Amino acid sequence: MAVLPDLSVDIGDLKLKNPVITASGTFGYGTELTPFFDPSLLGAIIVKGLSLRPMPGNPPPRIAETPCGLLNAIGLANIGIQAFIEEKLPVLTKIEAPVITNIYGHTVKEYADLAKKIEKVEGIAAIEINISCPNVEKGGIAFGTDPDTAAAVTERVVNNTTKPVIVKLAPNVTDITTIATAVESVGAKAISVTNTILGMAVDVTTRLPKLANIVGGLSGPAIKPIALYLVHKVVAAVTIPVIGLGGIMDYRDALEFLLVGARAIQVGTANFVNPKTAIEIVHGLTDFCSREKVSNINQIIGGLKTM
Amino acid sequence: MLADQSLVLKAPRYTFGYGKKMVEETVALKSNQQIGKNIWLMEFRSTLLASHAKPGQFLMVHLGERTKDPLLRRPFSIHGIQEGDKVMILYNVVGAGTSLLSSLKEHDIISVIGPLGNGFALPRPSERAILVGGGIGLAPLFFLAQVLQKDQRNTVTLFLGFSTSQEVVRIQQLEELGVNLSLTTEDGSLGFKGIVTDLLDQRLSNKGPIKSVIYACGPPQMLKKVAQKATTLSLRSYVSLEGYMACGLGICLGCAVKAAHGETKPYYYVCQDGPVFPSGMIDWEVL
Repeated sequence: MAVLPDLSVDIGDLKLKNPVITASGTFGYGTELTPFFDPSLLGAIIVKGLSLRPMPGNPPPRIAETPCGLLNAIGLANIGIQAFIEEKLPVLTKIEAPVITNIYGHTVKEYADLAKKIEKVEGIAAIEINISCPNVEKGGIAFGTDPDTAAAVTERVVNNTTKPVIVKLAPNVTDITTIATAVESVGAKAISVTNTILGMAVDVTTRLPKLANIVGGLSGPAIKPIALYLVHKVVAAVTIPVIGLGGIMDYRDALEFLLVGARAIQVGTANFVNPKTAIEIVHGLTDFCSREKVSNINQIIGGLKTM
Repeated sequence: MLADQSLVLKAPRYTFGYGKKMVEETVALKSNQQIGKNIWLMEFRSTLLASHAKPGQFLMVHLGERTKDPLLRRPFSIHGIQEGDKVMILYNVVGAGTSLLSSLKEHDIISVIGPLGNGFALPRPSERAILVGGGIGLAPLFFLAQVLQKDQRNTVTLFLGFSTSQEVVRIQQLEELGVNLSLTTEDGSLGFKGIVTDLLDQRLSNKGPIKSVIYACGPPQMLKKVAQKATTLSLRSYVSLEGYMACGLGICLGCAVKAAHGETKPYYYVCQDGPVFPSGMIDWEVL
């Protein structure tokens, strides 16, 4: 009898039954896509980015499609941490996969306060920090573009929680490895690479930007080669696990990230196109490993050969 | 092989989330034909979709074989159900996505998720249903007219406006349904010359003896006028809105529309809270 390949991976102390995670902002609060599949079958789920207070989001239009990509400026619309804990978390805890909350703040203190609130509740396995948002104390420059600020935010969160802290890096930086090593040095347990890449689109007839916010974050297959490159760079620079994301549409895309050295992957924009993408990737990886006689997915991770 | 069996998709054990009935289906097209200037009619069979769909609900359609460009599904309202299981989509070819869609032939495959969103709240017995459509806004109103005419509980009056006669489609089918139909074209090439809301103003100058409910779909400016008209006459009115959306499932939060002052939320989402809204819920100043 054939033995099933072992897809389980460890992200620090966090044990995942497979390396497939849903990316923040593309899987709602965790239960919206249950009509399509059982999220318990995934490695983990990361819910919509949460702030201290509810956020209304940006005026429309908030999204625009570009070749092989999606530009968005949702404006981090969310119900706020308190409503999430009271209304969403009780049902989420029934899912037999680790639930990771993604948090963002406008000041270092807000990040710390979010970590404190999350520390007090059960059912959240880890915290992913979004450091791509503007820092109001530093003139709106994103936390994630400066190693010192990125480290300051990470350190404050780490000091206020016992849960593993994952830092989601912003790609719009000169050298992503300096940010990666900075957050690693202050106690990040893993790094997610990469958030969306800043972009624009213009309607030439109206001469208006296609997003009311003018600028948005680009995601989807268009950014996959860039994301893969950034994962490759960060994997070489740090010793903590790297979670790869950016344009993953199927299990072959996922394998590329794993081969480059990502310990796990996140599925984002693809959830919008095909809500079953994440579970199809789990199936695809299982079948691939069986076919290739790989008994453990860890044999693939970092298995990139040289010419 | 064994791997497949062990991971056979279990039906979700959760009843929370979207309790609404929706399916993802791969269907072969029955037909896909141009019937007017830039206007196409697509038909396919789906027992599941046809049996669950309500007028005003929509579908997310993936164009062809999971292409990466165009990347996203496109939302289309359900134009009608015929012969029990035949689902119709009436659409305008406006961009790369719909252009690709229009190139599909009989037997070509599309992936459909639906029915999605909230449909039109049907009129109470004996109320008069006034349907107002602008251009491709006819799409969901046809389905509404079908259902209302089948029930035979309400008088149905339909006002349709187009820019020119070449855009006028589905008239014979609407006449077969037996609705009271009035047409306008902006260039006067067919019917009343002018815009549809001008005709509505003329015909609906006062509240009248029979209580009416207005259902509208069309460009924002048209919907705004309809909403104003309904407010003036103290009539209930429902508008079907469009929005840029990536998923149609309430997760991307792309399709925000500003809620009217005094509503409990700053924004409503077209896919989840709509696409049909009581017109009073929307902030018409910024739509």
